[in-house]
Amino acid sequence: MRGDATAVAFQFAGLALAPLVPGMIQMVKARLQGRRGASPLQPYRDLRRLWRKRVVAPHDTTFVYRMAPSLSAAALACALLIVPFAGSTNGWFGSDMLVLVGLLALARFATAAAAWDPGGGFSLMGAGRDLMFSVFAEPLLLLAFVLVALGAGSTDLVQMVAAAGHAHVASTPAHWCAALAFGLVVLVETGRQPIDNPDTHLELTMVHEGPLLEYAGRDLAMLQWTAAARHWLVLVLAASLFVPLPLTAPANVLALAAVVTAFCVAVAFVETSLAKMRILRVPVLLGIGIAVCVIGLASWIGGGAT
Amino acid sequence: MTTPTWVLVAGVAVAAAGIALSAAPRGLRAGLVLQALGVALIGIAGGLVLIDGAGVGSQFGNGLGPTVGVDALSGFFLVGVALVSTPALLYARGYLPGSHHAPAIAATSGVFVLALVGVVVARDAVTFLMTWELMSLAPAVAILLTSRTAETCRSVLVYLGSTHLAGVGVWLSMLTLAHLGAFTDPHALAAQPALVRSLLAGAALVGFGTKAGLMPLHTWLPRAHPAAPGHVSAVMSGMMIKVALYGLVRMLFEWLAPLPGWVAPVLLGAAALSCVGGVLYALMQHELKRLLAFHSVENVGIIGLGLAAALLLADAGQRQLAALAFAAAMLHTLNHALFKSLLFLCASSFQRQVGKLDLDRLGGLLRTMPLTGTAFLVGAMAIAGVPPFNGFASEWLTLQALVQLALHVGGGGTVMGALAAAALAATAALAVFCFVKVVGLVLLGAHRQKAVASSREVPASMTGPVIFLAGLCLAIGVVPGGVLALMRHLSPYGPLPAHTLRITLAVPGSGVFAPLAVAAFVAGCTAALQLARRRAGATAPSPMWICGQVPDSRLAWTSAGFTKSLRLVLEVVLRPQRSVSVERQGVIVHSSVHESHVPHLFDTLLFRPALGAVLAANRVLRRMQSGSLRAYLAYLLVTLAAVLTVVRLGVR
Repeated sequence: MRGDATAVAFQFAGLALAPLVPGMIQMVKARLQGRRGASPLQPYRDLRRLWRKRVVAPHDTTFVYRMAPSLSAAALACALLIVPFAGSTNGWFGSDMLVLVGLLALARFATAAAAWDPGGGFSLMGAGRDLMFSVFAEPLLLLAFVLVALGAGSTDLVQMVAAAGHAHVASTPAHWCAALAFGLVVLVETGRQPIDNPDTHLELTMVHEGPLLEYAGRDLAMLQWTAAARHWLVLVLAASLFVPLPLTAPANVLALAAVVTAFCVAVAFVETSLAKMRILRVPVLLGIGIAVCVIGLASWIGGGAT
Repeated sequence: MTTPTWVLVAGVAVAAAGIALSAAPRGLRAGLVLQALGVALIGIAGGLVLIDGAGVGSQFGNGLGPTVGVDALSGFFLVGVALVSTPALLYARGYLPGSHHAPAIAATSGVFVLALVGVVVARDAVTFLMTWELMSLAPAVAILLTSRTAETCRSVLVYLGSTHLAGVGVWLSMLTLAHLGAFTDPHALAAQPALVRSLLAGAALVGFGTKAGLMPLHTWLPRAHPAAPGHVSAVMSGMMIKVALYGLVRMLFEWLAPLPGWVAPVLLGAAALSCVGGVLYALMQHELKRLLAFHSVENVGIIGLGLAAALLLADAGQRQLAALAFAAAMLHTLNHALFKSLLFLCASSFQRQVGKLDLDRLGGLLRTMPLTGTAFLVGAMAIAGVPPFNGFASEWLTLQALVQLALHVGGGGTVMGALAAAALAATAALAVFCFVKVVGLVLLGAHRQKAVASSREVPASMTGPVIFLAGLCLAIGVVPGGVLALMRHLSPYGPLPAHTLRITLAVPGSGVFAPLAVAAFVAGCTAALQLARRRAGATAPSPMWICGQVPDSRLAWTSAGFTKSLRLVLEVVLRPQRSVSVERQGVIVHSSVHESHVPHLFDTLLFRPALGAVLAANRVLRRMQSGSLRAYLAYLLVTLAAVLTVVRLGVR
C-alpha cells in the first residue's frame, strides 16, 4: 500500500511534531529527578526564539559551514518522509531501510565537516567522537535491520513494519535480539545518557553538542530541529518495527503515540538512572550489541528460516 | 567492418599518433590532446558494443597468434578507461609542461593507457600477457622519470616485485587455461580433477588479486600510487587496478567455471578484510596521496564483496539476484574509477600549488582554490558514500546484494551476507570519518603554512577535467538506474529485471530507492532553508569560542588528534607507536618532540618476515655459488650421474 493520503499527512505532521519528543523526555526526566521542569513545548519556544535571531558565524568560514545546518535538516526531513505510517508511505523517495542509513550519514558528514571550518578544538573533539561512535553504531544498526528483514523477507520498510505484527516473526529470538540492538542505536543516535549527556554545559564532555557550539540563530534552530528529528526517527522506527501495532490509520497513530510516549519515559528513566559512560567504553557497549545481533543470526539459522 | 571496429581502429591510430607527437619536444600539448581524443574514440567504440551487446572482432581463442575483439564486458572497461584517461590526459596538458622529462612522461602515459586498452581487447593468452606486462611496466617507467630518490626507487622495487608475484599467478592461470582449451570450451575444466581446478583458481586469485590490491596482497599499492606523476596516478588508481579486476571477472565468471566451492567465501573474506582494513589504515595516514591509495584497497574490497555475493547467489540458484550483485560490483567499479581519479587529480593540483601534501600542513584550500576545492569536496562525498553521489548508489546496491544473500541463501549464506553487510556498513562509517578529516584538513579552516595562503587556482586545463569528473559523480549518483540500463548486457546471469532500470531503483525483495527524488528534495529543501537563513539578516562575524584564549595556529587540530578516540579504541588491532623526547637543562624544558605513527602491520608482521625467510634461504643457496670452476664441474658431474642413474633405473 503506497501513496495513502493519511500516511502522507502523518509523515508531514511528523516534521512538525518531532520537537515534542525531546521536550517530553526532558519533562519526564525533570519529574523523575524531583524537579518541575519545563513544558514539553519548550523545544518549540527555543526554536521560535532562535529563529528570530540573526545568524552569527566565525570569521573566514566557507559555504561548507554555512550550508551544514540546512543540509542536515534537509537530509533528516527526507528520512522522516520515508518512515512509514499506518502501514504505508508516500512513494516519492522509496521506502528502503538502507536509504535511511545513507541520509543519516549525509547529515553526519555535513555537521562534522562543518566543525573543521572554524577549527575550534571543542567542536572537533565532539565531531571526532561522534564519528568514532558511528563506526560501531552503523554496523549495529545494519545488523538490527538485517535481523528484522530476515523475518520480513524484504528490506522494504513497509513490509518490515507489517512483519512486526505477525506472531511468528515477533516471537523469534532473532527479533528480540534486534530489538535489544536497536535500543542501543536509539541511545547513540539521540545522544542520550549513558552515551552522551545532552544537558552538559562542559565543552570537554560534549559529543553531539560539540559541533553545534559555534552556531547561533537560525542555524542553531535548524540543528536543534535536526536533533529532534533524529529522536523522532529512531523512536518511531523502534515502535513500528518492534511493537506489533495495528496497521489501520486511526488505531495505528493512537497506538504509535502511546508507544513513543512510553519510549520517551523509558529513555528518560535510563538517563536518570545511569551515569554517562567513559567515552572509550561506549564502543565496548556497542560491540556487545553487535555480539547480540550475531547471536540473533545464529538463532535464526538454528531455528530454521521460514 | 562494423562501426565500433572502425571507431576503435581510428581511436588507436589517433592515440598512437598522439604518443609520437607528444614525444617530440614541441608537440607536448597537441600530442596529449590527440592521445585524449584517441582514447575518447576507443571509449565510444566500447560504449557502442556495451549498449548493443553484440561483440566485434574475434572470440577468445586458445591459440597463440595475436587476436583482438570486444564484447560487452570489454566494452564496459573500455568506457571506464576512456572516462578516466581522457580527463587525465587533458589534465596532463596543464600539469606536465615544465616538469623534468615531460615529453617522455607524456609518451609513457599514452603507452600505459593503450596497454590498458590492449589487456581489455586481447583475445588470446599471449596478447593478454604481453599487454599485461606492458601495463605493469609503464607506470614504473613514469615514476622513475619523475623522481629518482632512494625512496621512490624502493617503491618501484616493491611495485615491480609485487607485479612479478601477480605475474606468476596470471601467467600460470592464463597459459594453463589456453593449454587445456578452456577459453573456447566451457566444459574443458569440468573434466579436470578438483585439485587442478583449485590450483588454477588459487593462482588466478593471487595473480589478479595482487594487481587489484586485495588485502593482504596490497602492500605495493600505497607505495607506488603516490610516487607516480599526477595524471598517471589517477589512471593507475582509477583504472589499472580495475583492469586487474577485469581479469578476475573473466576468470571467476567465465573461464574457471565450475568454480571450486571455497573460492567465493575466500573472496568474500578477503574483500571484507580489504574494505575494513583499507579504510582503517587510510584513516591513520598523514599524507594525502598515500591516504587515497589506501582507499583504493577499500574500494576494491567493496567491488570484491559484490562479485563474491554474485557467485554465492548464483550457486544457490538465485540468478536474478546474482545479476544484481554483479551489476552492483560493476557500477562500483565505474564509480570508484571516476571519483578516485577525480581525487588524485585534485590532489596533484594541490601538490602543484602548495608543494607537499602533508595533511597537517594544508588547510583552507577551498578559499584559495575554489573550483578544484569544490570538485575535491564532491569526490570526497562520493567516496564517503553519502547520497546523492555515485558512491552511495553503488554501495546501496552492494549492501542490497549482501542483504539479499542473507535473506535468500540460508545457513552459511545468512551469516556471510549479514556479516559482510555489517563490515560494509562499518566501512562506510569509517570512510565518512576519513573524508570528514581530509576535507577538514585540506579544504577548510585556517591556512597552516604560507605556501597555502599564497596558493592560487590552477589553470583551466587542470580544473576542467576535474569538474567534468565531479559532474559525472553527481550524474551517476542521481540516475544510477539509467547507467545500469546501459550495462544490461554485461551480466553473465542474463539481464536485470526491467523495473530495476528505471529512475527509481527497486531490487526484488527490497524497498524502492528513488535517488533522483531524494537528491531533488534534499537540494530543494537545503536551498529553501538557505534562503530562510539569509532573510534573518546579514551574518554577524564573531571570533571562535576557545574559552577566551587567543587563537593560535599552533593549537590547530591535527589528523592524529581528530582520529585519536578511534585509535585508542582500536589500539589492540592497530598497535600505534609513539615516542616523546624532552630536552631539558635542570628543570627548564627547552624542547619536546612527540612522534607517533601507526605501523602498517601487513608489512611488519607478514611481508618483512616472509622477505627475511627468502633472503635467509638465498644466503644458504649462495654458498653453492662459490665461483670456483672445480665446484661447478663437480655439480655437472653429479647431475650427469644422477640423470644417468635415473634413466638406467627406468624411471619416467
